[in-house]
Amino acid sequence: MDQLGLLLEGFAGALTPEHLLWAFIGVTIGTAVGVLPGIGPALTVALLLPITFRLEPASALIMFAGIYYGGMYGGSTTSILLNTPGESASMIAALEGNKMARAGRGAAALATAAIGSFVAGSIGTVALTFLAPVVADFAVSFGPPEYVALMAVAFVTVSALLGPNLLKGLASLLVGISIGLVGIDTQTGQPRLSFGVASLLDGIDVVIVVVALFALSEAFGHVLSGTGHSTVQPLRERAVLSRDDLRRSWPAWLRGTALGFPIGSLPAGGAEVPTFLSYSLERRLSKRRHEFGHGAIEGVAGPEAANNAAAAGVLVPLLTIGLPTSATAAVILTGFQSYGLQPGPQLFSESGPLVWTLIASLYVGNVMLLVLNLPLAKVWARLLTIPAYGIYAGVLVFAALGAFAAGGTTVDLVVLCAIGLLGLLMRQADIPVAPAVVGLILGPLAEQQLRRALTLSEGDPSILVSGPITIVLWIAVLMALLIPPLLPIARRRRAALAKGSREDSAEEEVGSR
Amino acid sequence: MTTPAPEPADHGVPDRPGPAPSTPRATAIFAGLMVVGAVVMIIDASRLRDTSAAIGPNVVPMVVGVLLGVVGAGLLVQSRSALRPSSPPPSHDDPAAADRPAAEVPALDGPAGGWRGVLILVVTLLAFSVLLPVVGFVVSSTALFVVAALLLGAPRRWTVVAYGWALAALVFLVFDRLIGLSLPTGPWGF
Repeated sequence: MDQLGLLLEGFAGALTPEHLLWAFIGVTIGTAVGVLPGIGPALTVALLLPITFRLEPASALIMFAGIYYGGMYGGSTTSILLNTPGESASMIAALEGNKMARAGRGAAALATAAIGSFVAGSIGTVALTFLAPVVADFAVSFGPPEYVALMAVAFVTVSALLGPNLLKGLASLLVGISIGLVGIDTQTGQPRLSFGVASLLDGIDVVIVVVALFALSEAFGHVLSGTGHSTVQPLRERAVLSRDDLRRSWPAWLRGTALGFPIGSLPAGGAEVPTFLSYSLERRLSKRRHEFGHGAIEGVAGPEAANNAAAAGVLVPLLTIGLPTSATAAVILTGFQSYGLQPGPQLFSESGPLVWTLIASLYVGNVMLLVLNLPLAKVWARLLTIPAYGIYAGVLVFAALGAFAAGGTTVDLVVLCAIGLLGLLMRQADIPVAPAVVGLILGPLAEQQLRRALTLSEGDPSILVSGPITIVLWIAVLMALLIPPLLPIARRRRAALAKGSREDSAEEEVGSR
Repeated sequence: MTTPAPEPADHGVPDRPGPAPSTPRATAIFAGLMVVGAVVMIIDASRLRDTSAAIGPNVVPMVVGVLLGVVGAGLLVQSRSALRPSSPPPSHDDPAAADRPAAEVPALDGPAGGWRGVLILVVTLLAFSVLLPVVGFVVSSTALFVVAALLLGAPRRWTVVAYGWALAALVFLVFDRLIGLSLPTGPWGF
């Protein structure tokens, strides 16, 4: 019950006019960038990192959290009306939701996604409230060896889960870690991978890498292949649920939440796996299995809830252990670092009021998002009528702005373009970029912990497997490395999905003739 | 919202395209770069002075370098086996473009787009960084917006310039005046 008192104090902090305003700005921007294809919350938070020089920590972090939650809500709008998911976790919603929209049930799909997101986000935040302090208490006992093992788990699972296969995920992760190594080594003062270029000595700014990988490569890709046109499904009615829709939706919301939060809060997470699991669960449980693939509302309600619950879950390892398991979480971690705060068990003891204000603002943000998304669904849908050239040219302006804010020299722009081209190649090769961002931000921390661990043991590597926790974690690493080749469930599911969407476009081409 | 519903024919390019014909070749190129990167990293790491610390500055780069090489080699093998059955068509053609009715093909600026378009965009970005301190944020961003929009198939109308100007001015107002990230101004103060 200790948490309730702290949470109430958090609410006192979160409900000040200033913090409410930042939460509102955050969720509004978050919804907008979630709706716009090609811009995600990770990129947006990265672009807004310079704001941390001006704002007090609570305001900036409340805004970032709002963008994070808002991006999840907005992403479903895009996938339902446009069938190009704004972010990968919304892929499932694109499957069923877009079918519903084509059948003229777009409003119901949007409503079940928004309310489901609200239900899952709220339950997830409650779970976060009670779980986070427990995990933080437990994590106080962690030493460097435990952190090394945890980070290894995160590295391997992020690589395995965020891409088409482990090898491509690992490739992306290693690229990120390599970029993170550039610059002066903090312990010995020796420059690494700088090749005598003065502006590389400080390392490559996170903003530059994120902007290059997410924004620039996307814009390059569209220049390369042409943007094409997309058909936005019109939204005629208000977004409301009929009694029947509600009856079919609510169990799916709860099941999605039950899958999403626990999986999201593992130090292995990502929001993708629970959405896939939720989809197949709903399909298996449904009495109207024939509707799946043709616009079953459970197929939107469950995965969207799972998605948002997992988003809340991801905050558990982020806040309590300092372990980001998604690209956005990794960038938010950088936001903490720019205030000199290191998320982890100490964060709760040292910056308690800040953390609890942040958590309380998540409740507030969720309510704001429901209000923003249900009655205003039509307004957000209008964003989708912005022509693609406008969106991507605008993204480039923001990318250039971000690069300027991060340094602004011509060398920075050259680095930006080089990594952007690398990102384009990765897109062409179907290599995910999210593991690279996690590697970039987590890599230096992992090296630091590894060095601490081996300094403690005076160079004896057996310290890395010295405790029961570390042994369990390393076994998890081994399993994550060995199981995917043996039991490619995720891959098969992914392949089935890809096949589904390919059949989709084939159908459309036939229809157009 | 403006298009009628029963014509979902024109699908557009998805955000994350599924395995396109260009995938194995791009994977091979990327894997090659990884192997090159591995060599560079290992050379760079071996150049570092070792210290008395239990684990010096060169250990992690060495390990990452080796892993880069191993994973790169693995990807090369993977892409080779994918390339063998049939030689893929050139990577820069949008396979869907041929099927699309002519009227709906985005008005790409003649032969621009493709790799040439990417090159022009890179040059534009570099020019942006040179011009930024001289002509200020709003003008250089507007120029960047217009070039990028045209490369992406925008209609050649003055409205594109107006959009770019409006966006640049808005960004300038928000970031320079509100947030206080002082952006470079040209001789005219914006």
